[in-house]
Amino acid sequence: MTARPGSTVVLDHVGVTFAGAGTHTEAVADVTQSVPAGCFVSVIGPSGCGKSTLLDVVGGLLRPSRGRVLVDGTEVTGPRRDTAMVFQEDSTLHWRTVLENVAFGLEVARVPKARRYERAQHFVDLVGLRGFERHRPRQLSGGMKQRVAIARALALEPRLLLMDEPFGALDQQTRMLLAGELLRIWQGTGASVLFVTHDIHEAAYLADQVWVLSHRPAVVKEVVNVDLGRPRPTEVMLEPRFHELTDHLWQLLRVEAQKALAGEARPG
Amino acid sequence: MRMARPGEPRPVHARLVRWLLFAATLAVLEVCARAGMFDPLALPAPAQILSALLRLARGEEFYTDLGRTMVTVVAAFGIGVVGGLPVGVVFWKLPLLGDVFEPYLVTMYALPTLVFYPILLAVMGLGPAPIITIASVMALIPIALNTMVALRSIPPMLPKLGRSVGCSTAQLYRKVLVPAATPLAVPGLRLGFAYAVIGTVAMEFILAVSGLGFRAGYHYRYFDVPEMYAEVLVIGVLAVLFNALFGVLERRIRRDML
Repeated sequence: MTARPGSTVVLDHVGVTFAGAGTHTEAVADVTQSVPAGCFVSVIGPSGCGKSTLLDVVGGLLRPSRGRVLVDGTEVTGPRRDTAMVFQEDSTLHWRTVLENVAFGLEVARVPKARRYERAQHFVDLVGLRGFERHRPRQLSGGMKQRVAIARALALEPRLLLMDEPFGALDQQTRMLLAGELLRIWQGTGASVLFVTHDIHEAAYLADQVWVLSHRPAVVKEVVNVDLGRPRPTEVMLEPRFHELTDHLWQLLRVEAQKALAGEARPG
Repeated sequence: MRMARPGEPRPVHARLVRWLLFAATLAVLEVCARAGMFDPLALPAPAQILSALLRLARGEEFYTDLGRTMVTVVAAFGIGVVGGLPVGVVFWKLPLLGDVFEPYLVTMYALPTLVFYPILLAVMGLGPAPIITIASVMALIPIALNTMVALRSIPPMLPKLGRSVGCSTAQLYRKVLVPAATPLAVPGLRLGFAYAVIGTVAMEFILAVSGLGFRAGYHYRYFDVPEMYAEVLVIGVLAVLFNALFGVLERRIRRDML
């Protein structure tokens, strides 16, 4: 696999307001930020702060109410071929086998059958699912289904990977293992990553920089640079510098999480 | 219950038991009927029914009836599918419209549509038209309702995934929505077919010039009870065959969507 450079993403005064029946919910206030090419960016923020909304906007699934998103200088108006997404929810197609799920994006892109299964097989191997090609999603654990989703995204050889709490529904050990594997695989691709999570350890371990979002409506409160070097073994989490970073992230997040909690507790 | 040990013979196949049960029931009926335990006008011996069937199969009339009934059922079912599927899709696409009209469909479901037969006979005359009209309405309703429910129950994640990889509308339907809706939509087709059969046969029974339902009623009124049972048997076998066909169709749809 050749390491093509990742996309450069520019969010230019992005705001999102959901209009309901007589109500307006401002999910994202005003985000201006950029992802340098090949950079791994984690996005953290309190629950329901609009992290996923922001990701949907960058992925072209949601049109922003204000501002615009540029990927490699082009405004995003819909899903792009060189952008792939991984979601928190199970996104496997349950009538397809593992291999057919991984090949799904390639099939939609009309890659010839032989080529797409060859490519899908490569990514099945890469995420450690060799031997499960003919299995159906219902025969897999939650962690394995997320591997399928990651392989499906990677098979498109994206230059930008958007991950919306991909390990959110998994147990602690599985998410640590998958985070380690994600780093190993990502380093071979050179893709840029926007990785939404509510786990500060996961955010710091994976990323080059962490965007800390405020309580809704979201703004970027601070960008924390993660100076931990690469390649990054999981042991880095034992280093004092890692603890300083996560402590700092927690201090930032705690204030916002408390606001979110107070907002939820408010009657009406 | 005892635990199975490796190397032990597998439990007898359920299918085998099912067929044995069927054969045993036939044998018991045969013995009881010959022993004079049933009124022959109510339940003749299976062997008599079989010989009546062979007698019918030698005549031309039987094939005319069979053809007439099958054409009517297939026409009614076809109209039900061609009308019901789009109605289901529209009700799903436009939830407001679905919410407004769903109760009407459910009400029609509950209504014994058959009672309109005499009116339609008066309007359309004694031919296949009034039968096809009623049977197709009976078939359309479960097809439309099940299609709507099947589409509504698709997790929003799946179309979102489809859009994220850049599916066109056609691809979204073919590769995501149709296979995802199939397990709930096909039972609607099965139900629709069953209603088409019931509607057709019942109305033929009431008044028609040919058809298996008409012939069964005719033989009933002339005390040709084994013949009547032979016709009922043919209708039953047809229904079972078509039902099996839907099972195959269901598996096919999901496999061929790749």
